Amino acid sequence: MSEPSTSTATAAVSTAKVTVSPEEFTFVEYDATEIATIVAELAAQLEIANPIRVIVDETTPLAKVYEEIDAASSDATITLHAESGALEDRKHPQSFSPKAARESLGRILLRAHDRMRPEFADAPPDLELTLEQNAAWDTYCAGRLARMGVEVNQQRWRYNHRNRFGFDDGVDAKFDLIWSSDDLRWSDIAAGGG
Amino acid sequence: MSNVAVMGNTGTATDTASTARAPFAPWDRRDIPGSFSVEATARRVGNYKWTEMKLFEALGGWIATVPELDVKMRLGTHCYHHAWHADLWHKRLPELREMKPERLTVPANEAMERFIEAMTEPEAPELTIEKLVGVYRVLIPRFIAAYTYHRNNTSEITDAPTIRSINFILQDEFDDWRDGEMLLQSLITTRDHVRRAAEHQARLEAIMVEAGGITGADSIGTGDNTNTEGGA
Amino acid sequence: MRQFFPVEDLARDERFVQTNMAERMKDGRTAIDVKASSAKSRGATKRLTPDRHDASDAARGLMHGIMVGEIQALEGAGRTAHDFATGDGTNDTVPFELKLDMARQAWDEARHVEISAKLSDWMGTELGEFAENTVLFEAACSNDPVLRLAGVNRALEGLAIDVFTQMKEFGDVAGDPYLEFCEDWMLADEVTHVKMGSDWLRKVTANDPDRRTKALEFQQVVDKLFSFGGARGESAESSFSLARRFRELAGFTDDEVDTISQMDHEALEERKEAVRKYRERVGADA
Repeated sequence: MSEPSTSTATAAVSTAKVTVSPEEFTFVEYDATEIATIVAELAAQLEIANPIRVIVDETTPLAKVYEEIDAASSDATITLHAESGALEDRKHPQSFSPKAARESLGRILLRAHDRMRPEFADAPPDLELTLEQNAAWDTYCAGRLARMGVEVNQQRWRYNHRNRFGFDDGVDAKFDLIWSSDDLRWSDIAAGGG
Repeated sequence: MSNVAVMGNTGTATDTASTARAPFAPWDRRDIPGSFSVEATARRVGNYKWTEMKLFEALGGWIATVPELDVKMRLGTHCYHHAWHADLWHKRLPELREMKPERLTVPANEAMERFIEAMTEPEAPELTIEKLVGVYRVLIPRFIAAYTYHRNNTSEITDAPTIRSINFILQDEFDDWRDGEMLLQSLITTRDHVRRAAEHQARLEAIMVEAGGITGADSIGTGDNTNTEGGA
Repeated sequence: MRQFFPVEDLARDERFVQTNMAERMKDGRTAIDVKASSAKSRGATKRLTPDRHDASDAARGLMHGIMVGEIQALEGAGRTAHDFATGDGTNDTVPFELKLDMARQAWDEARHVEISAKLSDWMGTELGEFAENTVLFEAACSNDPVLRLAGVNRALEGLAIDVFTQMKEFGDVAGDPYLEFCEDWMLADEVTHVKMGSDWLRKVTANDPDRRTKALEFQQVVDKLFSFGGARGESAESSFSLARRFRELAGFTDDEVDTISQMDHEALEERKEAVRKYRERVGADA
């Protein structure tokens, strides 16, 4: 994804310092400060104190999100990448949706948080995950987000999980297990829930 | 006219036993004549066709005007039902010696035209109750009444094709009436809704009473339509 | 009730928000690589298949588009059954049998809305989750019934054939027991609708070649609109392709399909050009 070289908006709602780029949006009606505030609130809920960079690609309406963390330590910088569609109000295209932002950025923030645990040392970078690994990890993150009080549509994630693993009772049972778990390891995710 | 069936063989049980049987089995009580001549039947069928057409056109037109998704979909289904009824009548007319069906595809009288205008007048999105009341609490019950009267009074022998069509149509009318009534019961939830439904129904019933019914004064056999042959 | 019903008055509950093509095309974003070379495109293909990284969300979005499209097709068919007096098809009358066919189409589209609503539930999509583009009903708004046949029964239903074929294949590859089944049933109905349109267009304009020409021109305009800026097309940059086999079954000739394919390509290139110009204007790095 491209990385605009403009200055960045910040938020210091919690101990995490969050920067967002671009500071000014051209293609969409997003507000960098609002995005930073949402991410800071999520970070506070997860007790993440790492500096966080949010990079939004506003040239595409797609909704891919992924995260990078430069080390598994509490002072490593977490970078959250989001295509603009991930933060969008689908009823009003090009408008920002706090709900979608919480859900999309919350998921990848949880992944970054997972990566800081030794149990996830073997997890490949996001862009190298297989489709199945992505889906299983999304299920794990979405379930925890829901328990954190973030509005999440479980059926949407169940359908996503089924599309990757199949439409049968066994897959549904694994989905339910992953969704309701709080302390999985990377090996559990890679196995699609064990 | 009555038939007492003579059943079974009167001879001995041999290969030469007679196969002559009465034309009507003891349980077959169908008889002649019926209450309607060919011409009277054609006139009624023309009125049915006209009214079914107006109904399906109205239901089709209303689909875009109602915001309630379940109502929207039901109207689409019912639109087809009544279009199919109109088609059945369209095909019956030439069989009743009316080679130009459009000639008899007319309202029973001027009041029936006014009824349809009043029934189709509500258009605004907040008037779903009025739209449904007109159809399911006034017009369709009148259809059920007129069809039932016709079916019970026409000859099951000479006019079997009309009865067959009426039987199929009546099944739709009952089903559609139930659908519409249940939708109405789910929409009418306040005193104001009740008032609106009742007022609109009363308005339309008054015009229908003037009309006498879908085929005029003789719709259900309680009036005299001899001066209104040919409709409006 | 008015004889003709404007698109602005389409009745919806509060869950739905409507937009139109003009608004949609103002969006300067695109997933298509607008540079001349497609070497650096974001993915090898934009085709909606289960191996896309965003497959389920893309399918959900398309399913919602199908549902609101079916609602508009239902409304359009109902209006055509209502709006014109019965006659011989000249001026603005329509034959009785054409009205019956429109009523039959209304029933079919009502079922499609029901099916789409069930599938949306299955896929985890809320009704009204996405904006509703009213371009489909707009194709059904003409005061000339022949233009409606061209716009709806040929162009819109033709689009439906393309989209349902793509979704059917998606469901089949993904192993989804409901999606493939449902899309196939809807696809069968759409072939019927296109044939209805083709047959009536031919019959009603049998003695009026100018009217037929005008209708076919209108159909081409609508066909291009329904490319949605190249979202439909035979290029890998398009989400769904022309369903040639089912269109043939529905009565489209090879020439007609080739023409639509060409227009889809033009629409894609025009969209790319529009996005390039927009980006130049705003000074964004494409």
